[in-house]
Amino acid sequence: MSDLVSINVDGVDIEVPAGTTVVDAAMRADIQIPVFCHHPKLEPVGMCRMCLVRIGMPVRDRATGELLKEPDGSVQYNWGRTLQTGCTVRVAPGMHVVTNSAEAKDARDDIIEFLLTSHPLDCPICDKGGECPLQNLTMAHGGGTSRFNFNDKLTNDKSVPLGELIYLDRERCIQCARCTRFQSEIADDPVIAFHNRGRHLEIVTMSDPGFDSYWSGNTTDICPVGALTTADFRFGARPWELTPAATLSPHDAAGENITVSTRREAKSGGRVVVKRIMPRQNEWVNEIWISDRTRFVHHFAEAADRLKMPLVRKNGQLTPTTWDEALTLVAEKLAATGEQAAGLAGDRLSNEDLFMFQKLFRKALNKNNNIDLANKRLAGGDVTADVGIASGSNLGDLGKGDTIVVIATDLHEEVPIWWLRVKQASERGARLIVLNVRETRLDKHASFVMHYAPGQAIAVAGNLLEHDEEVATAVRDADNLVIFYGYEGLSYDETDALARTLGNLLLETEHVGRPNNGLIAVWPRNNTQGVWDMAVHPGLTPGYRADRNPGLDANAIYAGAESGDITALYIVGADPVGDGLMPGRGALDFMVVQELFLTETAQLADVVLPAQSWLERDGTFTNGERRVQRYNPAIQKVGDSRPDWQILAQVIEKITEGSEKTPFAASLVFSKEIAKSVRAYKDMDYRTLGQVVEQFPKVGGDDLYYGGTSYANEAGIGQQWSASAESKKPKKPFDVPELDVTRPAGLVLLRVAALYTPGTLNQYSELLHARMAKPTVMLHYADADQLGIADGMSLVLRVNGTELPATASIQDGVPSGVALLRGFAWRKGLESAEIVKVQTPITA
Amino acid sequence: MILEILKGLGTTAKHLVRPPVTIQYPEVKRPVRYRFKGRHELKRYDNGLEKCIGCALCAAACPADAIFVEASENTDAQRYSPGERYASTYEINMLRCIFCGYCEDACPTEAIVLEHDYELSFVDRASAIYTKEMLIVPVPDSGTSTPQQVEAGSFDRAIPDMEDPK
Amino acid sequence: MKHVLLRHRDVPDIHKLEVYRKNGGYEAWQQVLKMQPADVIDVVKASGLRGRGGAGFPTGIKWSFIPKGAEEVYVVINTDESETGTFKDRELLERNPHQVIEGALIAAYAVGAKAIYNYWRGEYMDAAHECQAAVKEAYEAGLIGENILESGFSCDFYNHFGAGAYICGEETALLNSLMGYLGQPWSKPPFPAIEGLYAKPTVVNNTETMANIPPIIVNGADWYRQIGTERSPGPKIACLSGHVNKPGNYEVPLGITYRELIFGEAYGGGIPGGKAFKALLPSGGSGPIMIDEHLDVPMTFEGPETVGSVMGSASLIVMDETVNMVWATTKAIHFFHHESCGKCTPCREGTYWMEQLLHRIMEGHGTERDVRVLENVAENIGGKTLCALGEFARNPVLSSIKHFPEDYRALVQPSAEIPLAVAAD
Repeated sequence: MSDLVSINVDGVDIEVPAGTTVVDAAMRADIQIPVFCHHPKLEPVGMCRMCLVRIGMPVRDRATGELLKEPDGSVQYNWGRTLQTGCTVRVAPGMHVVTNSAEAKDARDDIIEFLLTSHPLDCPICDKGGECPLQNLTMAHGGGTSRFNFNDKLTNDKSVPLGELIYLDRERCIQCARCTRFQSEIADDPVIAFHNRGRHLEIVTMSDPGFDSYWSGNTTDICPVGALTTADFRFGARPWELTPAATLSPHDAAGENITVSTRREAKSGGRVVVKRIMPRQNEWVNEIWISDRTRFVHHFAEAADRLKMPLVRKNGQLTPTTWDEALTLVAEKLAATGEQAAGLAGDRLSNEDLFMFQKLFRKALNKNNNIDLANKRLAGGDVTADVGIASGSNLGDLGKGDTIVVIATDLHEEVPIWWLRVKQASERGARLIVLNVRETRLDKHASFVMHYAPGQAIAVAGNLLEHDEEVATAVRDADNLVIFYGYEGLSYDETDALARTLGNLLLETEHVGRPNNGLIAVWPRNNTQGVWDMAVHPGLTPGYRADRNPGLDANAIYAGAESGDITALYIVGADPVGDGLMPGRGALDFMVVQELFLTETAQLADVVLPAQSWLERDGTFTNGERRVQRYNPAIQKVGDSRPDWQILAQVIEKITEGSEKTPFAASLVFSKEIAKSVRAYKDMDYRTLGQVVEQFPKVGGDDLYYGGTSYANEAGIGQQWSASAESKKPKKPFDVPELDVTRPAGLVLLRVAALYTPGTLNQYSELLHARMAKPTVMLHYADADQLGIADGMSLVLRVNGTELPATASIQDGVPSGVALLRGFAWRKGLESAEIVKVQTPITA
Repeated sequence: MILEILKGLGTTAKHLVRPPVTIQYPEVKRPVRYRFKGRHELKRYDNGLEKCIGCALCAAACPADAIFVEASENTDAQRYSPGERYASTYEINMLRCIFCGYCEDACPTEAIVLEHDYELSFVDRASAIYTKEMLIVPVPDSGTSTPQQVEAGSFDRAIPDMEDPK
Repeated sequence: MKHVLLRHRDVPDIHKLEVYRKNGGYEAWQQVLKMQPADVIDVVKASGLRGRGGAGFPTGIKWSFIPKGAEEVYVVINTDESETGTFKDRELLERNPHQVIEGALIAAYAVGAKAIYNYWRGEYMDAAHECQAAVKEAYEAGLIGENILESGFSCDFYNHFGAGAYICGEETALLNSLMGYLGQPWSKPPFPAIEGLYAKPTVVNNTETMANIPPIIVNGADWYRQIGTERSPGPKIACLSGHVNKPGNYEVPLGITYRELIFGEAYGGGIPGGKAFKALLPSGGSGPIMIDEHLDVPMTFEGPETVGSVMGSASLIVMDETVNMVWATTKAIHFFHHESCGKCTPCREGTYWMEQLLHRIMEGHGTERDVRVLENVAENIGGKTLCALGEFARNPVLSSIKHFPEDYRALVQPSAEIPLAVAAD
């Protein structure tokens, strides 16, 4: 990377990259220089003055450049007039740093004393108490007694809501500016800032709603005192009372690593409940940040209306029953149905669940291939298996000389952490090419932006090397090329063609098979990749081998259920009725639904099996970069629910009359079955997925003041599996199917993603209700004029007989001829809805 | 030898006329020392507000893990303590408690005090868990019971100053 | 003596371009436009002109730090004259604005700047009208703007108002404020000469410094060196205020003694009512206090250092025997507490703490221990702050305790623990 510089800190010689600050350099040698305002991921400012150290530079003769010597022959140093802040001084060759001298220690003692003059003594009720950098450093550096008169203490507002999510305690704030700098440097949402001056310097928010950012929770992690706290955790528990569990975000394809802190709670009848969610460091995935959705959307797992008992339809009513009865019924019915049975799975399930699901059909039901993903939006898993981003990649390594292409996706709303990392790569000098129908947040950071007409994504991707000389050069001559593609405004078949086109582009420009190169699918869910890997697919078997007798795909299954060709249907973790994919039971004889909630689909089922949420169990997810990561249980099971893989295995056990035993643990499903069947997973088991490596900056542990209170990763960074192009170069390009991409004449409706879209999981987090995207139809003014729609007018979207209320919004930046639908849960037929004006506003 | 016997009898005789030392417990109770450490009490201020702010430092200090505290936030409409938060759940498992008094030492508001009640007996394990209602002292005559409705802004400190708040 | 800087005292109506040009105005500018920029810098270097804002950094050397060939360079005039007792820049820009404008243009030419920003203290709104009128006249006369006097050199001049913050006199805070950010200094490096305004090389000079430049160009460096002393050449405007008979601005050659300035008939003319001299704040609130025995040192950049003080911006506040120095210190610390930007801990918290202690002492509730703590807090601020404001805030406290322990002793309860006698040396 960059050149190394050798310096000496407290007598220890260390080598660090040029440009490192003295504090960071010392940290790499495990010499801790205390800090408050400095954060290794932020630009230095030198505000708190806690990191004062003595810095000496070797003295050179001005004329000759020779090092000057002391009379005793040692190198002469210029130690400067005063102590210097280690956080603002960058290392230089031969630099000597003294951190442990009496004067440096005295200086720290003095700074702590100054800080405490205005800091309130409310540690006993402070949410940060127990994991507070100021508390820790006071123990290390503070004086035993106070010389400051307690009555002279400044008092200030104790609880100022900066929006609904974050509370500010103005008294506790030590004006380190970490939060404001995070918001402007990292999150690019400069919605909080300092106001006033001197001791009255205070954080204010200038947005409406307050602190309007998808990253606001991270400021509470890096706040070195308890000034910023989340509304979710406020007074929830003392930090030392919490039990941490390492798990993963269940919301998006990046697989953010998180730690869930739990505690027994009297209000919940003594159950262990989730108190807070904090980031867990994984520099390859989410560094030390998580989006607010990951942090605040967890309440669904503990919702009161979770399914707690198996239900069987008796006399037309779903009636609670025992597991044995329910499972026996399912096994009998499925075994009797044989060929006419079909299965649909969701893409929130873990790899273990998905593997067991396909095993149930392929093995127990005698090579029945009628299985598929219930809600197919984005294709190309087979393409990423070949030319996906290579193993050993880290988006954090992309920078000058590299190029990133983002097409047909809005990363900021879909996978925020990828937005963050792509944005940072562009700030480090990577060229960013953003292609979409409309403006997205990433456009601001792009060096080339193109807004194409709806349906033109494939053509644009195919002509990327011809379109513009600068773009062609950026793509062709990039040191590393990463391409993100999504499904915004595209049909499933079109995404397939898009993936293949992009795969060919990577092959043509030879950006495959080496780290930091390749294709990334912006999957709609956390484990869509796992659906492909585990081959919940009618035409593939695990390990991406084509099956000679492909079964029915999802569309055929829905049609079959309607016509009676399919008589039994097993649905796991999906709600096709709610999504508008399936009108109802159709001609089905038997329908099993395995779910968390009594969804619209479950209400129609014959048997409903209560599954466990991701918080109650362990398993693995595979993220969009094909990193297989493990998660652990955090809370007790809700009711008598069981993990999906176990339910499926028990059905298999019953059908096979005991010849296929139910494994004891998810880890065994992984190591004994997945690792044996799925080629790419063959070197993995829970032990290897749990391996940790040293990461920088170090977080957790004693040095809370350095990286913040994000948890250190002690549970594994996961393993990225190798795309096939890494071992052997693909010989021929992908066949791109010819598609008719013309859109029907008139206004093209296009659903766009919003991070907080009202939906099953989000709705349980009351904190976010005010931030939910309102159902909005965004129009170009010319189209609005033509349709006679005014800004703010109430509308109704008529989708296959369902009416969805919406509000019209006329905005700059909406391409003409397109209506953008924001704040609607995904629903089949939404993009061919009829827009109807209503006179009286309809409230949702 | 006779002399020794008489001496012994003398002692016996002396005790015959002495008043008995036996106390007729439970009809009669012997007062305990001022610093005796008996059952805990949760104190109130004169105005009736609870001293406990639910900081759980007592639970942290407890060597026997006998204390369980859960906090909630005070509002001006429902105010239990003068600070920002109060103990919505406070339980001590008297079977675990070793009456060391560390909780009293740890308490930043002098809310928990080991008082002089030593009559702790239970018929089952569940009744050995003393809840907040059992531990808290009655409201003094000068105060009103909690939760109180107070004027907005009259309590703005996170932890009350040690003198009685208004 | 004829004035070099306060020329309006000799020439009435010199704020008008016509009058100014009649008296040799903009001759330096015309002369400079025919010179090489490097030669201009050499002349200023040779003159030995040092920054008049207080720090005394050689102006020519400052200009030479601007990287050669930099495309975008800015010149910023520091008119954020907020030091207590300083009012020289105001008079200059109000009465003799063209001389400052001309000086700034020369600076712009020397470093290759296309724009000059004059950063005003917010409260000087009225004075700025005069300056703005002068700028307009100069634009109309083609002395500023596009292709000045057919030389091919273009430069714009902007007057910009701060919101009235002492800290914005610090050059990096000034630049932050000018860019629209919070007026807080940044940790140097980067120095403004490398990354200043809009992250481009920037020269920041005091108003009075700029006023010195035209006479240097016209009369030459040797003429300039005849005024003042060897190491501190040139004239300086001293702002005299407080207990003197004739307060006001006085243009004096550097090297004059403080005693002469205060008691000389041509200058301050002594203390009113014949009272005895007690103390002198030589540089507004920010310099260490001087006492009678210090008054014979010359007013130069080096002179007061021999007695542990500084010349600074030469704003002399004179105090007679009736002044309680604890009161004066309290006033000064209140000022620093009020003006501290709050960016770095020692200054933000230290000034607050010192003010609390001084209030307690003034109210008669203090003990000798409080004085000792006060002194220690002031010491602890030293060497730890981000910019000089925190360092300045120590000076009145430390020097008043040193020179006037009896004023403190009269106000505090004696304390056996740490007698003030120890504190006072």
